[in-house]
Amino acid sequence: MARKITLWVAILLLLLIGLAPVISMFAKSLFVAGELSLGNYETLFQSEREWILLSNSFLLAGSVTFITLLLGVPLGTLFSKTDLPFKKIFIILFVIPLIIPSYILATAWFYFLGRSGIVAQILGANVGIFTSRFLFGFSGVLFVMVSTLLPIVIILVMTYLRMVNPKLEEAAKLSATWPVVLREISIPIIIPGICLAGLIVFILTLGEIGVPSSLRFDVFPVESFIQFSAFYNFNAATAAAIPLGVITLIILIIERLFLRKKVFQFRVTKDPMIIIPLGEKKPLFFAAVATLAFIIAIIPLCVLLIKSLSISAYHEALTRSIDSIFRSLLYAAIGATCLTVLGFFLGYLLERKAFRFTYAVDSIAILLFALPGTVIGIGLISLWNTRATNMIYASVAIIIFGYIAQYTALGERIMAATFSQIPRSMEEAAQIVGVGWFRRLFGILIPLAKRGIASIWLVGFIFCLRDLGITMMVYPPAHDTLPVRIFTLMANSPEEVIAALCMILILITLLPLSALSLIIKNKRQKI
Amino acid sequence: MIVKMDHIFKSYDKIPAVNGISLHIEKGERVVILGPSGCGKTTLLRMIAGFVSPDKGTIEIDGLVVAKNGRSLVEPENRKIGMVFQDLALWPHKSVHGNLEFGLRAKKIPKNERNKRIDEMLVKTQMIPFKNNFPGELSGGQQQRIALARALIMEPKILLMDEPLSNLDIDLNLLLRKEVLELQEELGITMLYVTHDRDEAFSLATRVVVMQHGNIQKIGNADEVTKFLSELPVNKKT
Amino acid sequence: MRKFFVIVGLFLSMIYPSFSAAKDEVVVYVSEDQVFSEPILRDFEKDTGIKIKAVYDTEETKSTGAMNRLIAEKNNPQADVYWANEPIRAVVLKQKKISSPYISPNAKGIPPLFKDSEGYWTGFSARARVFVVSDGASDKDLEPTSILNYTDEKWKDKSVVANPLFGTTTSWVSALFVAWGDEKATDFLEKMKKNGVKISTSNGESTTLVMNKECIFSLVDSDDATNAIRDEKPVSQIYPDQEEGGLGCLILPNTAVLIKGGPNPENGKKLIDYMISAESERKLAFADCAQIPLHEGVETPPDVKKIEDIKTMEVDYEKVAEKLLEIQKYLKKWAGY
Repeated sequence: MARKITLWVAILLLLLIGLAPVISMFAKSLFVAGELSLGNYETLFQSEREWILLSNSFLLAGSVTFITLLLGVPLGTLFSKTDLPFKKIFIILFVIPLIIPSYILATAWFYFLGRSGIVAQILGANVGIFTSRFLFGFSGVLFVMVSTLLPIVIILVMTYLRMVNPKLEEAAKLSATWPVVLREISIPIIIPGICLAGLIVFILTLGEIGVPSSLRFDVFPVESFIQFSAFYNFNAATAAAIPLGVITLIILIIERLFLRKKVFQFRVTKDPMIIIPLGEKKPLFFAAVATLAFIIAIIPLCVLLIKSLSISAYHEALTRSIDSIFRSLLYAAIGATCLTVLGFFLGYLLERKAFRFTYAVDSIAILLFALPGTVIGIGLISLWNTRATNMIYASVAIIIFGYIAQYTALGERIMAATFSQIPRSMEEAAQIVGVGWFRRLFGILIPLAKRGIASIWLVGFIFCLRDLGITMMVYPPAHDTLPVRIFTLMANSPEEVIAALCMILILITLLPLSALSLIIKNKRQKI
Repeated sequence: MIVKMDHIFKSYDKIPAVNGISLHIEKGERVVILGPSGCGKTTLLRMIAGFVSPDKGTIEIDGLVVAKNGRSLVEPENRKIGMVFQDLALWPHKSVHGNLEFGLRAKKIPKNERNKRIDEMLVKTQMIPFKNNFPGELSGGQQQRIALARALIMEPKILLMDEPLSNLDIDLNLLLRKEVLELQEELGITMLYVTHDRDEAFSLATRVVVMQHGNIQKIGNADEVTKFLSELPVNKKT
Repeated sequence: MRKFFVIVGLFLSMIYPSFSAAKDEVVVYVSEDQVFSEPILRDFEKDTGIKIKAVYDTEETKSTGAMNRLIAEKNNPQADVYWANEPIRAVVLKQKKISSPYISPNAKGIPPLFKDSEGYWTGFSARARVFVVSDGASDKDLEPTSILNYTDEKWKDKSVVANPLFGTTTSWVSALFVAWGDEKATDFLEKMKKNGVKISTSNGESTTLVMNKECIFSLVDSDDATNAIRDEKPVSQIYPDQEEGGLGCLILPNTAVLIKGGPNPENGKKLIDYMISAESERKLAFADCAQIPLHEGVETPPDVKKIEDIKTMEVDYEKVAEKLLEIQKYLKKWAGY
């Protein structure tokens, strides 16, 4: 009973905080001048232009997904399963582009490859024309999006590979070489994880607006965006966002059909993961990974670093943002904690199929993840901005609500994967001797799911910390976070100050992460 | 001589797991290593398979030195070894046919030949009707047979078995023991079997090796070992 | 433990400034770039002791969070004042009945053209729509003098304009429709397109294209042009249509709007008085935004023209705002969206 209530509370929170604003926006979009009408939807797909935009979006999302998987699966495999040197440093480097808000990454590349960027200054104006042509348009957007989203694939592949029963690989190793074993056994076994990574990358690319608009490649979400920014027409904007939701649902259905038959056999023994020696090829792999890390992470990082390299820039950046730095850290920590708690129970629900409609809850969470932040943001405003709920609307709570609405899917899916590793029997054994739900929760489930809980918290922290779309829409006056501050300061501020602010953002994201990993390491040593 | 191990040492974090073991196995023998969990028997098996390299000592398989002086010289896939794991380790994403085919394909055996061998092996293990099923759809006993078939189809010089029957109920355990014996005799294969169950050891072995704390305590046939065990100062069950 | 409480207390005071006892504050939503607006607001805090709580926005990146929020918050307004960076949004707010009239005593010196007669909005510190021209084309022959040059063969494929769906360019196109009538304005736009005008994402980008000599000229905001010149880029600035009887140059003032039902109306009025004062205008003229003061006789740096020296386009901003909604669909098609 207590278990049921807890799970219901989690579901209701998701419905209330996440779904309700979207439903209210959707309902309003069905009315024109007080009457039920599809007027807001009629303008959609009226012109060929919208179809072109939609196909552009698909082309982009498809290509980004394909390339991130193509690079991310081998990289994740190298990082988790081989003795590649400096793995940890590489992982941090590859994660950096994800931490930086994508519009800043695009700006860093503009500083580097733009017509009068660093490359042009060194190699001459003609080269600048060439590089700027590469940067602006499909190729540039593809490149920046791949470098932003690649770490999602790398991390998920690593996480899932760690869970593969090493005996399965050993059994194969008796007759095949490592490349064959990885290709035919390890990688196919983690297909559910790879699919999840692909799904997240696809959805995030499909909804992305910052990078395509700053690098001038027209995509479908622009449609919804124009309705907001040029017409202030919320209803039409919602209508324009609906195709994104529909596409997401279709993808979810495909995912479910495709994965239904796949069995993911997790590690059951305590055997350590097998580390494959790279042998003679080690320098080769090292060089390849180092080159990629250099291109994807070190170049933009160095561009920002070089641009910001003056004490006055950092001084200016700090005085302009010190309060928002603290707020960012605090809000992201609160947000990550809320996402962890909610994700924990919803993930439990999804994995244990505790209720009949678990897939519906999962679909809602993923749908919210896919919708543009502006739609959810306006929905949150129209729902919570009343005199009675001012306590929520005028405080940090509304930002946290925004995080929950948009990012619950991440926690839920990560937790579901974690719970699938924990045999039901562990909980049932306690249940049978009469241990109540809360005891079971704190005594068994939480300790067993520790790793998963830590990873949602970290993922949640990163996503909350870099969030711009939702925060920008709902932050109460004087509650702006660092990414918002950077975004609003970007217009007409000196480049070096913006670069310094970005460096600060990267540092404040990396510091808690590394502190946490140190704590985890120390603890492990003690055990 | 199929397997020749001389003065093998292996320790983890300075705690010895295998402490100077020498063991020779002749062709067609059924050797069972009997010992409590943690005695080093699984480590020994894994060193033969090549998943672990010994700190010291030499391992020779079918005349080929595969490990020497703390270095593994031959990769597992080139040692001509078959192995059945405790948890069977059937690949969940491959059908029965796929599980059997994987190794043959890795060894670049032509398709006709592959299919012929798979069918033969499935007939021998009475698993033909389940050719296209996935491991998750099979019963415990059927899974055991497939795991065995998968190991045998490679025609290994030696078959290593790591407590494969320990999770089965007693009836099935007895039945499968019989099947293993029949298959072994039919194929004339050399077998090294690891278990903590005396009954299992005595019913399968032509020679029993008693192991404890990383050392061999006794080698002999069933009668000799039974006698040895009963004469232990503290007659605790090993 | 005590330290812990101190830290918690510090954090709490940071997240809940709204609960602090002193309610002497004013909430302002700002669409003018934060870099320029924040110093004025800080000075207001310093001079009056009233605490500013701001939501910033940036037009440059086409984010219109502040405006969208004002509309979404209509039923329970959170803001007292809106600082728009052009008059159109202020008019939209008036039409949507979100603003409330306030005639500031400081508005007296501001020409009637730049303020709402009923006081729903008051203009101050303006930008002008001017040409930025590449020095590379120092051939005097290629220097544009009128916006009609956009349709002239001589500049075929050599000009650029920012996307008219966004920002000040929208206002400019809409003003043309009001000044010329639909037929002439549409004809102009079509001819412009035929003449190979490039469409950039923003005025900033237009300026860069001219700076890099990819285009010869572009109509941009005066602050874009002035800044490029101050950075010693090879460009110059020309006010279009200044000849006798000419169309004149479109002026887009910042506007101050009092929000209806805001939490601190009295402080809101004080802030508006402050924003539109001659002193604030002087500061904004000397800042990097180089904005043109609307009060006569306010001191400006040498590269910022005085309002009395510019022939301005006489246009009713209210009509411009109305027209803007009408022509959006056409513009969307024109810009290829």
